[in-house]
Amino acid sequence: MKIDRIIDRTYYWIDDNARRTSLALARKLSRRNFLSRLGMFIAGAASFPLLPVARSFAQDSVLEVGDPQSCDYWRYCAMSGTLCTCCGGTYSSCPPGSEASPITWVGTCTNPVDGRAYLMSYNDCCGKAVCSRCGCHNTEGDKPVYFNSNSSTVLWCFGTENTSYHCTVSLVLGTQDETE
Amino acid sequence: MRIISKLALGLLLVVPAAFGQIPPEEIYVESMPERGENWFIGTTGNGGYIFDATTGEMHGMLSLSRYTPAVTHYWPRQEFYAAESYLSRGVRGDRTDIVAIYDYENLRPIAEIEIPNHMARLQVRSHLGLTNNGRHLAVLNMNPGHSVSIVDLEDRVFVYEASTPGCAVIMPIADNDFMQVCGDGTLQLIQLDISGFEENRVRSDVFFNVIEDAVFDRVASSANGWWLVTHRGVIFHASTDDDEIIISDGWKPHLEGEEAWQPGGRNEIIAAHHDTGLIYIAMHEGPIDTHHEPGTEIWVIDSNLQRRVGRIPMDPPANSIMVTQEAEPKLLVNDSQGGNHVYNALTFNKERSIQIPDATHFEDF
Repeated sequence: MKIDRIIDRTYYWIDDNARRTSLALARKLSRRNFLSRLGMFIAGAASFPLLPVARSFAQDSVLEVGDPQSCDYWRYCAMSGTLCTCCGGTYSSCPPGSEASPITWVGTCTNPVDGRAYLMSYNDCCGKAVCSRCGCHNTEGDKPVYFNSNSSTVLWCFGTENTSYHCTVSLVLGTQDETE
Repeated sequence: MRIISKLALGLLLVVPAAFGQIPPEEIYVESMPERGENWFIGTTGNGGYIFDATTGEMHGMLSLSRYTPAVTHYWPRQEFYAAESYLSRGVRGDRTDIVAIYDYENLRPIAEIEIPNHMARLQVRSHLGLTNNGRHLAVLNMNPGHSVSIVDLEDRVFVYEASTPGCAVIMPIADNDFMQVCGDGTLQLIQLDISGFEENRVRSDVFFNVIEDAVFDRVASSANGWWLVTHRGVIFHASTDDDEIIISDGWKPHLEGEEAWQPGGRNEIIAAHHDTGLIYIAMHEGPIDTHHEPGTEIWVIDSNLQRRVGRIPMDPPANSIMVTQEAEPKLLVNDSQGGNHVYNALTFNKERSIQIPDATHFEDF
């Protein structure tokens, strides 16, 4: 009972403070002030692509060399699983009917064309039976499962409707020099 | 024509009479015999195959989900415990994670307890741990943050899910506690109360660096604690004294000029025999980040002397190993081509090969 009373009082305190703050703001600020701030926000949003993060994604596409269906392909330096390139997808797209997991592990691979180190994201494609073609297991920078952001030995079908593993893709997130 | 018909009639009378002398066989179902020495379970994506390592004979099978990390047993109750995960339509549909209980006599499921659908779903022995008092089962979760589901096996109920950020692996210790390896280079001790709720949580000092030389997430139990090994082959022993975590100084079994040799394999790369203190590690020669390369040799190390006492060549190389705890122990090896082999763990001689389809690792029992 005591806990219920404490919770009720806390809610009352939050409501009361929100009401007072809203009233105070309404008294101090005019409608024009609100509109001017909204304008500033829109102008700021328009300039967002000029920021360094967005510019790094806007640069030319990555130069590719090698066979994306081979485990030796440069993007797969920290890859573990079945290559989606052999299963109806590409190195950056899931095969038809599967679901792309938004939660991934990462690695850093060197592109032999330009010698630059790229930050890679390995996304599992999920919701179908395991494809089992072109198995690939590389461990550059791989860490144990307790350090899971860099662990390939994990089923990464999180945040998908169905959690069965189908295959894995490898996306470039940026170059290492840009992320430093 | 008359002769043929007479002959046919004669045969009709004779043949049934001949068969009538043999009693018809009836189908029946075996039950498990008394457990023998050096029995083990070969864990696969299909279930647990129960074998006698001495004879190579299979005695039965536990049907388990393909996502089962491991299966363990508690002999006083004559039961097996497995964490399992099922999707209602095979590869899609509603997911249900459970702890399933099987009886020893018939290897049949006798109870199941639903747990949160967060199980890590990797075939790793240390993702499942039975507390030494036999009361609680800890199941490792990844969602993707780490946590542990605790199940009370006596009362057959799920107790609670303990959040364990940055820590994985389950190493039962003392009566009702377990340790974990953490990404910040420490060990974590979680002590449970009699109901299975967390009573106390302790962190050790930092003793390794995950970037420079990570401790493997595969471990081996000792007589009073756990053996840990790093990617470069440094061995540590961890134990507890009440709520204190005790970690030995690290040491390497390498001789001069052997620096390139390091542990590796796709699954269980370390095993230990409690009574003799012998440690077995799958080793290969290679650069950094080859920690999943299978072992071209198994090094046998006397932990009392901190010295290597044997090298067992492996061809094909070893992916997963386990040693039984009997006085005449067997070393079990799963090789990189899917073969499974039994060695005398004290003489290091190979005794036999056993077919266990798609085995990933072994459980002693």
